[in-house]
Parts: sequence; C-alpha cells; structure tokens
Amino acid sequence: MVITGYVLEIAQVILALLLAPGLAGFVRWLKARLQNRRGAPPWQPYFELRKLFGKEVVMSNNASWLFRIAPYIIFASTITVTLLVPMIVAPLALDGMGDLLMVVYLLLLGTFFLALAGLDPGTAFGGMGASREMTVAAIAEPTIALAIFGLALSAGSTNLGRIVTQELANTAVTLSPGHILAFVALFIVTLAETGRLPVDNPATHLELTMIHEAMILEYSGRYLALIEWASWLKLTIFFTLLSNLFVPWGIATTFDPAALAVAVIALIVKLAVLGGIIAVVETRVAKLRLFRVPELLGASFVLALLAVTSSFVLK
Amino acid sequence: MNDALFSQLTTLGSSVILLYGFTLLWRKSLHAYTVAFQWQSVMLTGLFLIIGYFGHDVELYLVAGFLFILKVLILPRYLGKLEQRFPGERESRPYVNVATSLVVAGLLVLLAYAITRPLVLVSDLPTRGGLPLAVGLIFVGLFVIITRKKALTQIVGFLVMENGIALLAVLGTYGIPLIIELGVFLDVLMGFLVMQVFVYHIHDTFESIDVDQLNELRH
Repeated sequence: MVITGYVLEIAQVILALLLAPGLAGFVRWLKARLQNRRGAPPWQPYFELRKLFGKEVVMSNNASWLFRIAPYIIFASTITVTLLVPMIVAPLALDGMGDLLMVVYLLLLGTFFLALAGLDPGTAFGGMGASREMTVAAIAEPTIALAIFGLALSAGSTNLGRIVTQELANTAVTLSPGHILAFVALFIVTLAETGRLPVDNPATHLELTMIHEAMILEYSGRYLALIEWASWLKLTIFFTLLSNLFVPWGIATTFDPAALAVAVIALIVKLAVLGGIIAVVETRVAKLRLFRVPELLGASFVLALLAVTSSFVLK
Repeated sequence: MNDALFSQLTTLGSSVILLYGFTLLWRKSLHAYTVAFQWQSVMLTGLFLIIGYFGHDVELYLVAGFLFILKVLILPRYLGKLEQRFPGERESRPYVNVATSLVVAGLLVLLAYAITRPLVLVSDLPTRGGLPLAVGLIFVGLFVIITRKKALTQIVGFLVMENGIALLAVLGTYGIPLIIELGVFLDVLMGFLVMQVFVYHIHDTFESIDVDQLNELRH
C-alpha cells in the first residue's frame, strides 16, 4: 500500500510533465481561434521542446555558473511542487513532507533563481525583467499563501491533501463566501504569477513591458527548454490548485484504478475549462500599465484578506 | 438544512454586494461606477427576495419591487444622464491612491468584523453572517465619499452607503415596516435630486465637478 502511494506520486509528476505543454498549447490555440486566427495546433509546445532540446547552447561570455545551474534549480523546484499538490489522488504519500507554505516557498525559489539568472549576463532587458518580476512576486506570493490559508482555516490543516479531503467530506463549505473570495484572489494571482495577460503578455518577445520573456532572453537550447517547461508546469500547478482546492469533485480518495482513471479525466476537463476561461479573459482585457499592476494585486490581496477573515469568523 | 442554506445564501449575497462596493475604489471611470451601483442594487433586490421567501414575509417582495424600480431603473438612468453631461470626467487623482484605498477598505471591513462581533455572538438569526459585511459596506461608502474628488463619485458613494444601510436593516430585522421603507426610498430619491442640482451648480460655477476647487471659494 505504501509502495502504491509512492508509485502514484511518480505517476502524478509524469502526468503533470506530460500535460503541461499540452495545456499551454491549448490555451494558445483557443486564444488564436477566439481572435479569428487559425493558430498553431495545441500540441505545438511538444515540438518546441523537442527542437530546443536538440539545439546547442549559446551563452554570453559574461555569464557565470549561476546562469548554468539556474534552469535546473527552476525545473527541479517546480517538479518538487507537483509532488505536494494533490492532482489525481487526495491524501498523498508525501503529504508529510510539506504543506502549503512549502509549496509557496518552492515556487518562490524558482522565481528567485529566474530573476538572478536574468540579472547575471548583465543585459539591460534581463535586469529590467528581473526587477519587475520581483515587484510582482513580492505582492503575489503573500496573496497565494493568504488565499490558501482561508481554505486551511475551514479545513483545520495547512496540508493540501487534508484540505481536499475535508472539503469532500463537507461539501457545503465550498460555496461559503470565504472560498469564493479566496478563489477570485487566487485566480488574479495565477494570472500574475504565470505571466498571463493583464500583467504580462505571453505572446510577444519584443515589447518594452515584457516581464517573463525579458528574463529568459539570453537562454537558448536545452536551458531554454527547461525554463519554458517549468513555466508551463507552473501554469498547470496553479490551475490544479484552483480546480482541486475549490472544486475537489472527481479526485480519487482511494488507490482504486477506476477512481484514478476518473480522476485523470476530471483533472483534464477541469484544466481545459480553466484554460478556456484564461483564453477568454486574455482576449477580452488589455494589458495593464505596469504601474497599475500593484493596484490589481493589491485588490487581490484584500480579497484574500477578507477570505481569511470571513473563514475565521464563520468558523 | 433549510436554515443552513438560507444563511449561506445571505452571507454569499452580502459578500457579492460588498465586492461591488469595492469596485468603486478600483475603477476610475464614472460609467463603471454607475454599472457597479446598478449591479449591486440588482443583487440587493435578489437578497430581499431570498429573505422574503425564507422569512415568509410577503411585504418584502413589495419592497424589493420598489427597490428594483428606484435603484436599478431610475437612479442609474439619471446617473447616466449626468455622466453624458460631463464627458471625460474621470476620478484620475483621488486624495488616497487606489492601492492604498483598497488596503484601507480591507482594514475597514476588518474593523466592521471587530465591532459587530458582540452583536453576531448574541444573535441567533440565520442571517447574522452578513451583518459585518453590511457594516463594512457602509464604511466603504463613507470612505469613497471622503477620499474621492468628483461630485459624481461622491453621489455614488452616498448611494452605496445607503445600500449598505438597507442591507443591514434587512439582515438584522427581516425588513422594517413598509411605511418606513417607503419614506427611506423617497428620501434617497429627493437627496439624489438635490445633489444633482448641486452638481449642475458646481459645474456652472467652476466648469468642473471637482469638489477640490470648492476649497478656493474666493474669486
């Protein structure tokens, strides 16, 4: 039984790794269709990865060892997060390893090294991107923690697996105002953290306001592939948090193969629905001026704060 | 079960109403304020209907009808007309900037939770979960009136505050007597019309609806 748990953990990581490029491609494709373009097929990111892994790495002479190891750290920290987030099965074998604080800080570790790597070669764009990313992250990270704390308060545990099982046991709680406020807050933060539209434009390389693209401008070959893969994985992780923490139905609570199959399908459907929502949002809104981004994130922080308050008072 | 559903619905409705109050702090165009107020009033009407249904009070349906006519149909239409009279007026530089006012508003709601806590503890109404939110909405409306410069924004702030009072009344008492409710509606309408006249006068005198200029009354 213990072994099955660990096997499932590995399976979950592989599933996340396989799904992540597909999700990113699906969002791109749907967005293109909504904008009356034909768009690349949803599986395009897989080809991109294969191409990038096949290419040689070109590096600036000024780049240090930090620049070389940063992609591995980013990729590894993101993968570790997938071990802790309940994707297909609720009480995870590695639940004891870390809770939501661990998840938040692992994600922040990746962001931190990405910003360092952006600064390292000493290009103008890299430094700009890094400073912007840190501005966004400084407001976004506490909001993530606070929003999930709102859920943790009603579940009585900061453990993500426990939160999901508690919610499945007591479904009425999913419609409480605390949960809905926390969902909205986490949704806004997801847009900011994964570099989606009102905050950052994922579709362009050549814009003075880019954040994520500015930091990875110097990367090529397998390093770029790892970073891109990690950022798609981050999108998948945030979508999984949004779907499984707030709408936990479909997730397996036993190691029964039929339940697991249902859970995988439910996960894919939930990710597709959220991807559709993101595509619609990105088509409808314009990019915010950089100086208005803290206002948006401030609003989401206030929502998260209210979520925690109302969960605490109504407990 | 019925009671649990009722209390969940009212708390949820109150949260949504409070969130519409928050959009006043985040948006800058007068049109967005009007739309936010209109939707807030729609939600408030819905909440009146829910409380009327679960509290078995037929009078509340009537009040909800009046509320819908006044706050969803008449007032937004007048606000829209005002907006067209003064195109291009935006709340571009409030006394307190957007990010700070959002945080302050969050703190105000926390304050509302703190001061209504004794009330919520002794009350056994199913609607008690929404009481702090209603008080919070009153605070937020007041905060909008204090910190915004345009006369129109302040009017919307007043109307939102009035929505908060109506919300508090209906959550706390399941509806005050119809005659008082009618009096309040009439007051709101009269207050709004008087303020509208004032806005026209301010605009005639200063060629702007920025009330900051009232500080320099000497010509």
